Amino acid sequence: MRRAWDSYRLLVQWQFLRLRNVLVLIALIQLALALGIVYGLSLLVPHLDHTSALFLATGAPTLSLLLLGLTVVPQEVSQAKLDGRFEYLSTFPVPRLTSLAADVSFWLVAQIPGTALALLVADLRFGLHLRAGWAVLPVFLLIALSSSAVGYCLAVLLRPQTAQPVTQFVALGILLFSPVNYPLERLPPVVRDVHRVLPVAYMADLVRWSLGAPHHLSLSAAFMVVACWCGAGLAASYRVAVRQR
Amino acid sequence: MLLEFEHVSKCYPGDVWANRDVSLGVEAGEVFGVLGPNGAGKTTLIAQLLGVARPTSGRIVMDGVDVVRRPDVARQACSYQPQTQVPVAGLTSMQAVTLAGRVRHGRGPDVRRRAHQLLQLLDLGEWERNAVPLSGGVLRLAAFCMAAVEPGRVVVLDEPTNDVDPLRRKLLWQQVRTLADRGSAVLLVTHNVLEAERCVDRLAIIDQGRVVATGTPAKLKAELRAPLRLELGLDLEASSPPFPAFVRRPAATRGRVVAEVAVADAGAAAAWAVGLQEEGAIVEFLLAPASLEDVYVRRVGVSLEEDASAAGVG
Repeated sequence: MRRAWDSYRLLVQWQFLRLRNVLVLIALIQLALALGIVYGLSLLVPHLDHTSALFLATGAPTLSLLLLGLTVVPQEVSQAKLDGRFEYLSTFPVPRLTSLAADVSFWLVAQIPGTALALLVADLRFGLHLRAGWAVLPVFLLIALSSSAVGYCLAVLLRPQTAQPVTQFVALGILLFSPVNYPLERLPPVVRDVHRVLPVAYMADLVRWSLGAPHHLSLSAAFMVVACWCGAGLAASYRVAVRQR
Repeated sequence: MLLEFEHVSKCYPGDVWANRDVSLGVEAGEVFGVLGPNGAGKTTLIAQLLGVARPTSGRIVMDGVDVVRRPDVARQACSYQPQTQVPVAGLTSMQAVTLAGRVRHGRGPDVRRRAHQLLQLLDLGEWERNAVPLSGGVLRLAAFCMAAVEPGRVVVLDEPTNDVDPLRRKLLWQQVRTLADRGSAVLLVTHNVLEAERCVDRLAIIDQGRVVATGTPAKLKAELRAPLRLELGLDLEASSPPFPAFVRRPAATRGRVVAEVAVADAGAAAAWAVGLQEEGAIVEFLLAPASLEDVYVRRVGVSLEEDASAAGVG
């Protein structure tokens, strides 16, 4: 266990040293992304009521976390596969998912300042009175891990040239057809049924709850569904990580 | 044997064989070379050892453990310098080497001391505190240090000297030798035959996925029963001298003649060449036994020529 922790710590350090020169740029992009979701989408609705503003503001972190897992992590994996880094790191004596854990940790930390600032600005702009509670950390971590596990599996299984359009398609689908920035009721019944199985609506509700905003689904059900997806994603990630060609 | 490949084969879909029935053994403390042309299956062999690729059949045994079934044992025991780039963008040489050593479970102070020592020994002092260039010899040497800083019981080096300047190549070969002297088995994959001849204890030549020869360089050269090679260096404007009967198959290019001489005629050939040099008909000469390159060309060249002529016909 001690060795696994040391390996994780060192791989995070490796990732930080490798990307420290672009860390500020990454944080700024994350900030722009979060602000864009809050302000950019509010432009679509000229007279934003309190409920809609709440959906937009609390939906932004969920979308950021989903995009982290479903676009940033797969891009990293695809790039690593292309330049040989993925295979090289897999020859080190570290537990199989350490590299994924290090990636998720790094990108999560990189996006925290942007997300926090975007929430603060949205809170002031729309007068939402959000209160981030103790649950923020486990909820954010659970969502980041779940989406990253799915993104990692896709990127490992697919060829890099295929992984990019597929993950972008998934991300676009989530952005437009998921009840993150608007209530579930607005979706057609068929899509609503799909979202009873997919974790996205539950993730959005968990984030709303962790930020002290009203939530709409059963919390225990939300935790259970997202945890199941996270467990299944990690199990599948492990399977593909130990796979030999 | 510390490491044994036992009848290892790998067949990809479409009946594409990466290697076939490869059997090799590597002792602790020896440098074992794997030579072969591009696409011969050398890198596949390494991938199989490191658990990245799974053999279709056969076993790879390390200290009695089948590492095909236990790739974690292989990863623990092998340190590896890949042929592709290593992820060191933005890192200084010291940071890259130290991190690799620590991830291989080396103790911090030991790893830092050894990293500093290796970088100095390879004349990389000026890059110790500077970012590693993203291509070229320095990157290649840094990758070697990352494999050697906390060496495994088996150190796998895939084309370690590519892009490295001649002076640092010498230093690198010394460190490869040191790794073996300290007890590691060094599995060296290369197509640089001339350099391998000076460094390896034993070697295998692989062609089209099969082992076509194995043994010490001396044994392989002796098996070839090749004639001596006579090289004459001429002034650029000079014409070739007339050749006596014992100088066979002379091939002249501008300023140089390469020919074969039977071992029994070595004395006569040397005396003839000395005479030419004294007359001023040639500038220099070399009379040398068959090299590992001759063995390599004899073993591999035939199949390459067959492939080339088949492609020409097709």
